[in-house]
Formats: sequence, structure tokens, C-alpha cells
Amino acid sequence: MSDVIYLDNAATTAVDPRVVEAMLECLGPSADYANPSSVGHLPGRRARARVEQARADVAALVGADPSQVIFTSGATEADNLAILGAARFYRERGRHVVTSRTEHPAVLDACRQLEREGFEVAYLKPGPDGIVEPAQVEAALRSDTLLVSLMHVNNEIGVAQDVGAVGRLCRERGVLFHVDAAQGAGKLPLDVNRDCIDLLALTAHKVHGPKGVGALCVRREPRLGLVPMLHGGGQERGLRSGTLATHQVVGLGTALRIAAAEMQADAARIGALRERLWRGLAALPGALLNGHPSRRVPGILSVTFDGVEGVSLLYALPGFAVSSGSACATTSGEPSYVLRALGRSDRLAQSTLRLSLGRFNTEAEVERAIEAITDAVMRLRSVAPGQGG
Amino acid sequence: MTGDDPRYGAEVCRRMASLAGAGRFAPAPDIATGLAGNREQGAEVELSCRIAGGQVMEARFQAFGCPHFLAAASWLTDRLRGARREEIADWDWREAAEALEVPAAKFGRLLTLQDAVRSVVRNWPGTLGSTV
Repeated sequence: MSDVIYLDNAATTAVDPRVVEAMLECLGPSADYANPSSVGHLPGRRARARVEQARADVAALVGADPSQVIFTSGATEADNLAILGAARFYRERGRHVVTSRTEHPAVLDACRQLEREGFEVAYLKPGPDGIVEPAQVEAALRSDTLLVSLMHVNNEIGVAQDVGAVGRLCRERGVLFHVDAAQGAGKLPLDVNRDCIDLLALTAHKVHGPKGVGALCVRREPRLGLVPMLHGGGQERGLRSGTLATHQVVGLGTALRIAAAEMQADAARIGALRERLWRGLAALPGALLNGHPSRRVPGILSVTFDGVEGVSLLYALPGFAVSSGSACATTSGEPSYVLRALGRSDRLAQSTLRLSLGRFNTEAEVERAIEAITDAVMRLRSVAPGQGG
Repeated sequence: MTGDDPRYGAEVCRRMASLAGAGRFAPAPDIATGLAGNREQGAEVELSCRIAGGQVMEARFQAFGCPHFLAAASWLTDRLRGARREEIADWDWREAAEALEVPAAKFGRLLTLQDAVRSVVRNWPGTLGSTV
């Protein structure tokens, strides 16, 4: 991909070489490849030590105790375990769930499954800036509300919710609070205790770790119950059976440890790149920023280019890896439900690019992106109806 | 525009690279125009054709839509050149679909082009509103 400028870090990121190195130490005949559950022998105990170090790294990032961390295959599994697991465990306590319309499908589809199981779900509509106000959550709570699920950072527009305010509200009302932190963990500060988060899902591959591994932080004091989705060897305190993939878990832990150590510097540098990108693109007439201008994660920029069809715009940028505002540009081309929830029309939603920056992007890449996108937008607009002769 | 996306055939890539035929003729007695589609539905096109001696001397397009649609509009400007009114009255979108290897999911967009051609036929100089 050396000839392509990668601006799709919200989809996934390149694995940091330091993470690769740590993972390789758990693969191969002379590495710590043993089953971390086989603590009856030295190789097993070495693998277990690596797993527990990773658990501590994950916990440290979000102010949790290592005993709260359950390793999963990623944020999707963690979200499902949190939402389905908690709702099924406490179903006699209440059958009402509150979430928002702009959640990731991992949350929305889990909520739809709960609806099929007899739960009632309230889907809050964010404001035009993508923010779900704590007052909206408060207004939606009922005496039988069991769970509130709200994402930390939106994957399409990068807006960050005030999860602390919502968490404290939920804690006061005795309602469980789940946060999908797939896009925010490692990029913005999070603390499960300060922010009163009972269940927090995160993943490795959005922060320069490997795909296929994530974690769920589960409140321990008082102990929170979950119905597991996988049954088997009883790993992860019986909540997630299956042999732990030591190299993946170590990749997660290393990626998050690096993210924690470099969060401030990365946020400043990547945030500056995003601002330069936006300033460059904002010079185009009809360029609209999606989402709140300041309450956002450093790396994600969603821009609508009025008068330009999104799939053609993507086509016109062959040297760049970016995403469109369509849910699936390759098939139906349905406009993004997130942008529609913000009040964008179908036409504007389909005229949108998501540009997401990561640790390895450079100023030169941003300058090239500004130039290429500007050229493509101008060219496509020049052939659109209503442009004169 | 030099995309090498395997979802697009060679003719689409070639047309997207040049967008040959883009533009429009200013309104004049010898110009027939055809409008179809709208941006809310993701495809809008305006064809304008200069007519002389009962045939299309030159055609141009302006379009908003996906690469298949833009490429088909460009292709259509070549297809219309030299055609007489009665020859294009029944023009069928499938001809463009075949020429540009357009996938079935995009066939609806090509119907918009067919509507634009029909509109050109209706607006043919000297025969406004008449049928072929």
C-alpha cells in the first residue's frame, strides 16, 4: 500500500512495529506460545504472565483493576456480551434499554435482538452536531430502565459524547451504563471509575494493534452479572470460554500501553493534522463539517461536499484510502444512517467523505489529500447539471 | 481520474479519465435538450444536442451520479452523434449497460439516461412535443 495514502484509520490502523515485535515473542517454537491456561508447566506460566501483563495494560488505560478485564475477539463481541449478557442476567429487574440512533451496528443489532426477546429499546436522536445530551438520557429513563448504552466516540463523524455525565446520571438512578469505546479508547482519556462506567468495550485494531482481539471491562464493586455467550473451558472467569490467543492479547496490551504513553503527543499532532485538513477543504464552497466542531476525537474528519456524488468522488481519489458517507458504496449505496440522524439529507449524506488520520500520517500526506480532493470536487462539480456551458 | 477499481470495466475507466463530451450547448433554436433524474435519487443528467440536417451533429452531457452513470452519459454523447430522431426514439438503456459492463445494481441509473434521450426526442427542433 506504499503508493496509497491511507486516511481510513477509523476503519482500522496499521499495527505499530513495536506491537508486531511483542506479538512475535508469542509465536514460533522458541517463543511464549504455550496455552496460558496450562499453568502446570513453565511455558504455560510464561504465557500466562504475558496475558496478565496485557490485562494490566488494558486496565491501566481506563482506570480499571486488571480483574475487571475480559478478553474478547474484538469490540463487537464485547458490545454483544455487555448488552445481551447484562440484559439477560437482570431481565427480571427491568426490560427497558436506552441507546442512541448513531451507535455502531454492534450495539444497534444487539439492541434489536433484545427487542426480539421482549425488551423495549429507546433510540435517542442526537442533535445536528451529533451530541446526545445527558438531559435526553435522563428524560428517557424509566423506572424499569435496566441499561443505557452510549458510544464514547462516533466512528463516522468522530464526535465524543460526555460519557462521564451520562455515567454519573445512570449511577444515581441505579441503571447499568455500557460504553462502546472502540474509537475513543487510547485516543481520549477514559476512566471507568470517574465516569461511572459499568461495562466498557474496546478493541486493538483502532489503536495500531492487531485485528481479532478486544476486551470488555466489567464492574467488580459491586460485582456485575453477565450471561455468557460462549460456553466451554470457563476461561475469563467463565464469561468468555475459549483458549486465549496469547499473541493477540499481548498485541492488544502493547498497543494500549503505547497509546496511553503517547496519547497526549499523538492527540496534539494528529489533531493538528486534522485541523489542517479541514482548513484546506473548508476553502471549497459547499464543504460542510459533520459533527460538533470541538467535541471530537483528534483523528476523524467527516466532510460533506455539496454537489458531488460520493462514489464518484471516491473513484476520483485512487491514490487515497478513504471512506464515503454510504453504508455500503459497493452495493446499495444507502446513505449513512449516522449522517441522516444528524439531519443531513440523503443527497448530502451520499456526498460525504470520512477522512481518518492515525499515528503514521504526515503533513505531506495531508497536503496531498487537500490538493487531490479539491481537484476531484472541482472536476466533478464542473460536469454536474447547472454548471453553465 | 485513473482508478483501477475492479468494480469498473475498462470503458468506464477510460470514460472517467477523460469525461469526453462533458458540457452543454447554450439554448438556441438548433439545440435539443433532455433532462432526467434528480440529485436526491443520486442520478441527474442533462443532454444537449446540436441538430442539423435532421440528425445530431454533436452531443454533450452534464451529469451527477456514480462512475457508471457519468461514464454512460459520456458514452451516450458519442452514440448519439449522427443519429436521426427516429433512430433514437426507442433507444434502450441496455445498449449502454452492455457497452460499459454495468452491473445489475446500477441498471436503474441507466433508465435515467433513457429518460433523458426520450426528452431530447420530444424537444427536437421543429417537432416540439410530437411523437415519432
